[in-house]
Amino acid sequence: MKAPLRLLGLGAAVLAALLLSVRLGAVGLSTRQVLDAVRGLGDPAAVAIVRELRLPRALQAALVGAALAASGATFQALLRNPLAEPYILGVSGGAAVGAVTATVLGLAARAGWVVPLAAFAGAVGAMLLVLRIAGVVGRALDVQTLLLSGVVVGTFFNACILLVLVFAEPEAFRAAIFWMMGGLAGASWPGTALLALYLAPGIALLLALARALNLLSLGEETAAYLGTPVRRTQVLAYGVASLLTAAAVAASGAIGFVGLVVPHVVRLLWGSDHRLLLPAAMLLGAAFLLLSDTLARTLAAPAEIPLGVVTAFVGVPFFLWLLRRRGA
Amino acid sequence: MSIPRRTPTDRAAGLALLAALLLAGCSEGRSAPGGEPADAGASTAASTADVAVTIVDDAGREVRLARPARRIVSLLPSGTETLLALGAGERLVGRTRYDRDPRVAHLPSIGGGLDPSIEALLALRPDLVLVFEGATPSALRERLESLGIAVAALAPQDTADVFRNLERLGRLSGREPAADSLGRRLRAELDAVRASVAGRAQPSVLYVVGTEPLRTAGPETFIGQLLGLAGARSIAPTQRGDWPQLSLEEVVRQQPDVILLPQGEDVGTAPARLLGRPGWRELRAVREGRVVVLAADLLHRPGPGIAAAARALRDALHPAAARP
Repeated sequence: MKAPLRLLGLGAAVLAALLLSVRLGAVGLSTRQVLDAVRGLGDPAAVAIVRELRLPRALQAALVGAALAASGATFQALLRNPLAEPYILGVSGGAAVGAVTATVLGLAARAGWVVPLAAFAGAVGAMLLVLRIAGVVGRALDVQTLLLSGVVVGTFFNACILLVLVFAEPEAFRAAIFWMMGGLAGASWPGTALLALYLAPGIALLLALARALNLLSLGEETAAYLGTPVRRTQVLAYGVASLLTAAAVAASGAIGFVGLVVPHVVRLLWGSDHRLLLPAAMLLGAAFLLLSDTLARTLAAPAEIPLGVVTAFVGVPFFLWLLRRRGA
Repeated sequence: MSIPRRTPTDRAAGLALLAALLLAGCSEGRSAPGGEPADAGASTAASTADVAVTIVDDAGREVRLARPARRIVSLLPSGTETLLALGAGERLVGRTRYDRDPRVAHLPSIGGGLDPSIEALLALRPDLVLVFEGATPSALRERLESLGIAVAALAPQDTADVFRNLERLGRLSGREPAADSLGRRLRAELDAVRASVAGRAQPSVLYVVGTEPLRTAGPETFIGQLLGLAGARSIAPTQRGDWPQLSLEEVVRQQPDVILLPQGEDVGTAPARLLGRPGWRELRAVREGRVVVLAADLLHRPGPGIAAAARALRDALHPAAARP
């Protein structure tokens, strides 16, 4: 039984990354100060920094990382395509259209939740649109049709964003670009709590589908012969994975690389049994995004490096090394 | 505020954000809470009684302080410059990366004015933060207030706002007398500029705010108003907002007498490169050498530099009226 040990090890890695993430930031605090601040003692500025800024942000990084990795692993299984990623059904493009439109129309200032809500609505709308197009054009859940519909809708959304930006005031333009770069700077307790409540059932559902995903990745016919309710599993898995991604995008913008590569890393290391792959990818995604966000916050402090830039700079060399080692 | 009028100011800074984010290599101005010198403002606050001060800011919100602020961070370069001009520099405890005045160079940087590191800001324990209020207000105010920081939102958009903010900042920093006398002096200096160009022919002017796309300043902006005061007729369209885009075809058709090119660390295309491009080459002003390069930091910051900015424009447009 190596699987429980592996998951335990990854869990420890997430915990370590979480501690590091709370320990480090733009402002230099000693370990002692951080420990005091967590308990609400000491300098009120340090307490606010640790409890109101670093903690919710670290938890949000872990949640987003887990959601993206789980969603990516699910799409790769469903589409039997190694290039599948969480945004494959146009979710990121739809979210960006929602967020950018809300920003350019000046709704962003009404309340902190307006942009995330608009992004979420755009993401879900895009997902439904892609599924609908695929259903009209070909057989609803056919892999080829879905992939092409997703790509085409994504391209169309990009054009929409550019069109909106041409007519944006310079300020709204800046805010929109900033949103599209993605990042966790807006993390707060209410948002993080909401995200956790929302993600938990989705993640549980994907874990419950792990065995069915194993069978599906052998091919639809084989899975059906072996007694899997193919259609129901596919619809459920597409829907849940996209809804997880939509929430992650709404919280932090589209952060690349995590959902695409983290599942591959787990597969290269430990094979593709989804009963291990899914939970392992979630934990690794959480730890990876925690570390990336810590670097994003500290490398150029007080400026922040866009999170997607860090995930790529850290992830790509590691992944290439892993690929080469496996190939040799 | 029915017509949003704005300066490229604090926002030109914002547009440089992307580049800055990507280029920012080293950590500037790390600081530890508690590492600051104890309340430097207290020693010089003798002139100010600790009475509550209240202003209404440009978000229409009442800002009330139990006493004049002693630990201020201005996220607007124009706010920083105004506080320095009021002699309240010792009350500043941080700066943005766009504040280049040597008097604040020693202060820790909190990053950009529109995307500050909130963590670094909190560590400075400010009792007042000035934020930029644009046409599309940012969520920054809400965020800072939820963390218990007093915030005043300022939208320096035209010349009248300069004097309004001078008076407000005078009150917030307990430097009202200084604000009064500085306001009087700046008004007198502007009057002198206006008088020096009275009766002179008004050259038509293209003021280049940005080149990609080509943008100029509308008549309701700080720059547009100063151009009028300095005896110029801007070719900016009057009905197309504050920062109208121009096509080069329009410019070639209008043939402005003078082209003004603000240059600075965050703005501007190198004049030689710009003026060699097709279209630009065809302008009479370019061929005849009537292109004046101006300091963007002076013109794009609607603060106490207003009179110097007006004089710089006047000297560029009416050299004969410039008195040494």
